[in-house]
Amino acid sequence: MRPLLALLLLLQAFSVGLVHAKEQLLEVVVAAPFLEMHSGPGRGYPVVYVVGRDEVVSVLYSRTEWFKVRASGGQEGWARRADLALTKLASGEPAPIPPYPEFATHRWEMGAGYGVFNHQNLVTTWGDFGLTDSLDVEFVLQQALGTIDNRYIASLGMRHTFIPEWKWFSPTAGIGFGYQYIDDKVPPKPLQDTNQVAYVSLGARGFITRRFMWRADWRKYVVFTNQNQNEEPDEWKFGLAVFF
Amino acid sequence: MEIRLSSVFLAAALLSGCGWFHRGEKGPKPVVAEEPQGEPSIIEPQVNRRVVKTPKIKAKDIELGAYFGALSIQDFGTNPIYGVRAAYHVSEDIFMEAYVARSKAGTTSLEDVFPDITIVSNSGRHFTYYDLDLGYNVLPGEIFLGRGRAFNSALYVTVGMGDVKFADKDQFALNFGLGERLLITDWLAMHLDVRDHVFETDLTGRTKNVHNLEATLGLTVFY
Repeated sequence: MRPLLALLLLLQAFSVGLVHAKEQLLEVVVAAPFLEMHSGPGRGYPVVYVVGRDEVVSVLYSRTEWFKVRASGGQEGWARRADLALTKLASGEPAPIPPYPEFATHRWEMGAGYGVFNHQNLVTTWGDFGLTDSLDVEFVLQQALGTIDNRYIASLGMRHTFIPEWKWFSPTAGIGFGYQYIDDKVPPKPLQDTNQVAYVSLGARGFITRRFMWRADWRKYVVFTNQNQNEEPDEWKFGLAVFF
Repeated sequence: MEIRLSSVFLAAALLSGCGWFHRGEKGPKPVVAEEPQGEPSIIEPQVNRRVVKTPKIKAKDIELGAYFGALSIQDFGTNPIYGVRAAYHVSEDIFMEAYVARSKAGTTSLEDVFPDITIVSNSGRHFTYYDLDLGYNVLPGEIFLGRGRAFNSALYVTVGMGDVKFADKDQFALNFGLGERLLITDWLAMHLDVRDHVFETDLTGRTKNVHNLEATLGLTVFY
């Protein structure tokens, strides 16, 4: 109990510190006839205050597609991204409200999913960095949980997206290498518990909504062993990711 | 008179000297070419360009926190559980979440009746799991406390998968959850969660799916 409390206090202190470190807030002028402020960051929360045209509001921070704003009289509330994008800076320029990242040209991606590795359940997570619109570096960390063994596989590879401008479905192909570690408590013990692996993959990706996307992948591995024959397991997986 | 004459000569000599020195330079620059370069215009603007930096808006989509509660391990009694959680809010409806938690199992009824029988070793009684979940805010709304206070809240469902390590063995586990998030302030939230961790085991003799229900109370901070 005590460590939990300590952790929470630390998190809270860190959060408060972050808020106070950033004193300068973005100030925008309402250019539409009015700007509605909701009580919470969601479409169902009631409107608690309305700011009129030419009034100034400060933008505190954002949560998903909502922005916490403060009116000049001190009233606080949440404004929708689309509404806030209609405001202007004091200089008359449009307010720098960041739009959602373009799916076809996004750079970063983080996701998780389910799969099957060699007839075993697979939990997979990945991070992805786009070097160009069609070429990515992918880092994958996964655990295959079987009845006989429990494997951890880490891999690094390159992936090519054939037609990145196809939004809903675009085929991909990749190649890479990595390591697997077998953590086995059930006898007999594996001959080697760490192996180098290499893979080729075929897959597809697509856009779902806003910052959300899916990926499906099939991989053929070669597990390099010190025996006469290498292992060649198959893997398929499906996951959901967030892109930035 | 003499003085006047000598001063005229002197002036002439000086002027010619100046001309000589002037010739010693790289050559007279044409007046026309010099004008656009260095010649000051009538009004010299003294403007220091102001660097306008627009402050960036911080996104607070990440939620970090801890929770504790009770976990009922099927056949092994109900025990306290402690965990940490991290969530990323993708939209006002959807979030992705990860948990890591630990508990310690008690004894089965069989072990209580026959103390000599040990189904799981003492070190294997640790029940540790991680989960990767997808959550959906089903019923966002407000909770009222008295006349003057309203807290934003959301009832959410989660579904996910992960690893349960119990009896020194890692098992693939699915989990289904229902939770309530109550925002005490815009950056601090309280969670009440009920989750079921389902996995297959043969610990008690036959292979079966076991349901391990947990009820937890947590606090999280938004970043």
